Amino acid sequence: MEARKTKIGAWTALLPLLLLAAVLAGCSGSGSAQGVSEDGKLLVTATTGMIADAAKEIGGEHVEVTTLMGPGVDPHLFKASQGDIRKLDRAAVIFYGGLHLEGNMERVLEKIAAQKTVVAVTDGMPRERLIAGAEESEEFDPHVWFDVDLWKSAAETVTDTLIQKDPSNAEAYREQGERYLNELGQLDAYVRERMLEIPEKGRVLVTAHDAFGYFGRAYGVEVVGLQGISTAAEFGARDVSALRDYLVERNIKAVFVESSLPARSMEAIVAGAARQGHEVKIGGELFSDAMGEPGTPEGTYIGMIRHNADTIAEALK
Amino acid sequence: MMDFWIILTAVLVASACSILGCFLILRRMALVGDAISHAVLPGIAIAFLMSGTRDSMWMLLGATAFGLLTVFLIQTLQTSGLQSDASIGIVFTALFAVGVLLISLNAQHIDLDLDCVLFGEIAYVPWDTWTLGGADMGPRAVWMLGITLTVILLLMGLFYKQFKICAFDPAMAAACGIPVLLFHYLLMGMVSMTAVSSFESVGAILVVGMLIIPAATAYLLTNRLGVMIGLSVAAGIVSAISGYLISYLLDASIAGCIVSVAGILFILALLLSPSHGLIAKFARRREAQAA
Repeated sequence: MEARKTKIGAWTALLPLLLLAAVLAGCSGSGSAQGVSEDGKLLVTATTGMIADAAKEIGGEHVEVTTLMGPGVDPHLFKASQGDIRKLDRAAVIFYGGLHLEGNMERVLEKIAAQKTVVAVTDGMPRERLIAGAEESEEFDPHVWFDVDLWKSAAETVTDTLIQKDPSNAEAYREQGERYLNELGQLDAYVRERMLEIPEKGRVLVTAHDAFGYFGRAYGVEVVGLQGISTAAEFGARDVSALRDYLVERNIKAVFVESSLPARSMEAIVAGAARQGHEVKIGGELFSDAMGEPGTPEGTYIGMIRHNADTIAEALK
Repeated sequence: MMDFWIILTAVLVASACSILGCFLILRRMALVGDAISHAVLPGIAIAFLMSGTRDSMWMLLGATAFGLLTVFLIQTLQTSGLQSDASIGIVFTALFAVGVLLISLNAQHIDLDLDCVLFGEIAYVPWDTWTLGGADMGPRAVWMLGITLTVILLLMGLFYKQFKICAFDPAMAAACGIPVLLFHYLLMGMVSMTAVSSFESVGAILVVGMLIIPAATAYLLTNRLGVMIGLSVAAGIVSAISGYLISYLLDASIAGCIVSVAGILFILALLLSPSHGLIAKFARRREAQAA
């Protein structure tokens, strides 16, 4: 009996605390009107930097874009902070990658879609242009931004969504969308050109994480990865030695590390190849799931893709 | 409203876990929560291979089945004479390994890690609502955890005495004619259900932390089971609420802040407890020396 009394006592003692917390938290909420910033801009939240960049380019001065996943963050492993709730809650439009790029968060985004405009930028991409994941499943590789021509579809989706959500600035969105598509067209041509500088036999991209499937397909580069699609899946010892033998056999000059993954596994392979008398260098750091720091050239989508193309071309040609 | 739902969810998880945690601590099985969080991997893999999707319903089903299998195996190994820490270690590493193997053989090109497909995130709770006939019934997690907590309170209320004797003195319980094994399985079954449903709503770290830390804190403060459960729940709820407020102030991970506060409460208990506390012990030693 005494035990039960203590328990009830503890509960009632905590009740005011609970109320206080609820009130405190409630007050700290919405400062400005839902979906619009204090100076009347449309509030847009994007999951990854690549998507946010497209929204900034196309929305220009009429939108205020917030990014959930900053530089160097792996979208598969993203953990939301308390502030991210507010970023999602305040936004009028939320853009995300889709195709399971954001993992479990996608389920939540689909739920938020009942209350506001939530758009997967890959929705408009023809399914036959997507690379399938495992056999006998309807899953696709989500790293679509590495095929610049395919990524244009994402830019178009962003443009259409903004026009629909904010028709008063439709003209500006259309114009800026057009300009951005042009820039992407030039970027696509640039990457293609740079890849042609590499002798055909050496056009092999060896990286730690299979994020470059679309890049390889679009620009005629053979992609050999060490790890599966997930950044968390473990790779076998055989994967490591098979890749090392492949490097030696094909006489490949360089392998690459990635910004959102530790370089350790690639360094092990370089050391392994050196022991077999084949010199491989680390060709440089590629951006895969996240862009560079804001303010640097690699902090934009176009800069990031150019950096990757330049790094690959310089190391392999 | 957002904040209210998150706090309520955290309080429900904290309450359910801190009650069960007391019994787990007494039975030296505190790490069973962590074990379940790993051992459900083959369940996820099999559910994916059978259904071909990563739909959350299938994942939850696979995880529930393997959660129950895990605690069943742990209990069986322990009953057959193995130490409880060894039985937990064996079962969860073996099952986790089977899961890794299944994934690397069958689904290499699919993102099938637990963080992505099973573990939820407490920050997203308010949006993941349950609709019934078009009406918004509030967050799904609140319902799921509310039902779990009700089941726990009901079973504990009905069989408190039996659970208590089984936890302290299984031999005496058996002598009194209590089906000890049944109550062991019942307790472990509750732990498994709580763990899996909370993993799905709020993620692993919060559940594993809440199963151990508040109960351990309470353990330092009392020798009576009833009081221990009360203190454990209180510690859990205080951690949940103040942890959330701290995460707001720091713009940090909510689960991380809640578990950190629970850890701080534990350290306070470790230092200040009148019976087990380091300071009290030190003072007693000084007194003894003086005398």
